[in-house]
Amino acid sequence: MTVLTTSAGRRAALLAVEGLSKRYGDRVVLDGFSLDVAAGEVVSLLGANGSGKSTALRCIAGLDRPDGGTVSAAGERTRLGTPIPSVAMVFQRIHLVPRRTALDNVCAGALGRLGFRESWSSYAFPRALREEAMACLDRVGLADRCHEKAGRLSGGQQQRVAIARALCQRASVILADEPVSALDPAAADQVMRLFRSLADEDGMAIAAVLHQPDLAKKYSDRLVGLLRGVTAFDVHPDRLGERELEELYRPDMENES
Amino acid sequence: MTADALEPKVPTRMRVPRRFTAKHYAAVAAIVLVLVGLHAIAWWKTGFSIKELVDGWQGLWHFLVGRDQTYPNGHHVHTKGAFPIDTRWGATIKPGIGYCFLTVCIGLMGTTLSIPFAFVLAVVASRTTNRYAPLYYLARALMSVLRAVPETVYALMFIAALGFGAFPGVIALTIHNVAVMGKLWSEVMDEVDQGPVEALRSAGSSSVQTAMHAVFPAVVPSLLGLLLYRFDTNVRSSVILGTVGAGGIGFYILQSANGFEFNTMMTYVCQVVVLVILIDLLSVWLRRKVAKV
Repeated sequence: MTVLTTSAGRRAALLAVEGLSKRYGDRVVLDGFSLDVAAGEVVSLLGANGSGKSTALRCIAGLDRPDGGTVSAAGERTRLGTPIPSVAMVFQRIHLVPRRTALDNVCAGALGRLGFRESWSSYAFPRALREEAMACLDRVGLADRCHEKAGRLSGGQQQRVAIARALCQRASVILADEPVSALDPAAADQVMRLFRSLADEDGMAIAAVLHQPDLAKKYSDRLVGLLRGVTAFDVHPDRLGERELEELYRPDMENES
Repeated sequence: MTADALEPKVPTRMRVPRRFTAKHYAAVAAIVLVLVGLHAIAWWKTGFSIKELVDGWQGLWHFLVGRDQTYPNGHHVHTKGAFPIDTRWGATIKPGIGYCFLTVCIGLMGTTLSIPFAFVLAVVASRTTNRYAPLYYLARALMSVLRAVPETVYALMFIAALGFGAFPGVIALTIHNVAVMGKLWSEVMDEVDQGPVEALRSAGSSSVQTAMHAVFPAVVPSLLGLLLYRFDTNVRSSVILGTVGAGGIGFYILQSANGFEFNTMMTYVCQVVVLVILIDLLSVWLRRKVAKV
């Protein structure tokens, strides 16, 4: 058993989400969802398919515009539906540009703070950025693969490059949407360890949607369960019982009949 | 439980519900009727007649092997047929190669000149790279209009304005190709994997930056492949453009036909066949190389 680092205490929340709501037509996906993640904390979001986990992350990251609620990152209120530099997103399907090198992919995380003259092509990236990106790749343990095309790397390595891209964005909050669902158990473990160390050593706030309760228990400080767009529980991993999980993943009775 | 209770049984049978209703059959019958009717009209309108084709075999024969005519006044005229083909090196084959080269040059210029315009139109006419709807529809409409006019018609217009020669051919090809290649390229950009696009957007990159770093790296091989395919097509088109007076081998095919030099014409036609096959092989070979990039 891995010894868990205990909750980061009552440090100020790096990410504070209040009363987030989102509906697609008549379907309510998020119904006043709230979430706080402190610096140095890893929070896992659990929930069945369609419970609103991914939508919540996309709304927080500014990829979708929520209908209501507030999102604050690093103490600043964000404009809803607009991506912000301090919040980075990591995806299940990784979404690197396969034909570009790992280093170029990491550099792309910085696009938000680059002018056109430094970013019209990957050849225009300034040297300082390349060196910063190199350090980010080193942080995820892939400095030796910097010139390899992203498409040639294994799934686990690609996901770590994507995390390096988030670091190069200088984000303090990482939102991860099923970051390990496409990975084998060893690679999944490695990625989760990396998240843990980013929280412990660099004081980042990590919120990850996970479909593996065991992984979530092993690496998180808190587990948040989502049921039909609202928080069903928010507990320490040791306190999560079978009953809560069963409730969370129970087949929807309305759809079953 | 007894042993024979575990024996696999022959599956029981169940009636398969009807898949098609009378409505379906009626619809199919209606479509077939309309198609048959259209073809009947087309047959009648075009004066298509197998009888005429058979009766005209003599003309076809004369075209193929030539014709000797003796007029009542004793005057004797010999017209050469397509075969045997004209094999004079200095008078036909060598200049023919030159005309072929000019045809390739017209195709090359028409393709290359259209690259920047097609690129701009493709970027504006793709949802991935342009989120501003009015410009998007404007670009689509412009390409549709330009594409609706065939190259040959453009060539006729520019020949009227600039006179016979290869130059109006190049302009005609360029205009048509801008529209066609712009359309093909914009479709490739539309179909690009939206994942990296979204990833960069979440990192705060602008539309232009997203295009440069997520869309283009993904589509460059496809764009190059389509460019080579268009070059191939444009060389063929430039043969046709020649026959309306826009230079190259097509022009000489027309001239020899008009002069009843069917053997020379057939030599040029053979050269066109070789040229088209060579360009096709080259294009396929290059596209295969590009796909591996």
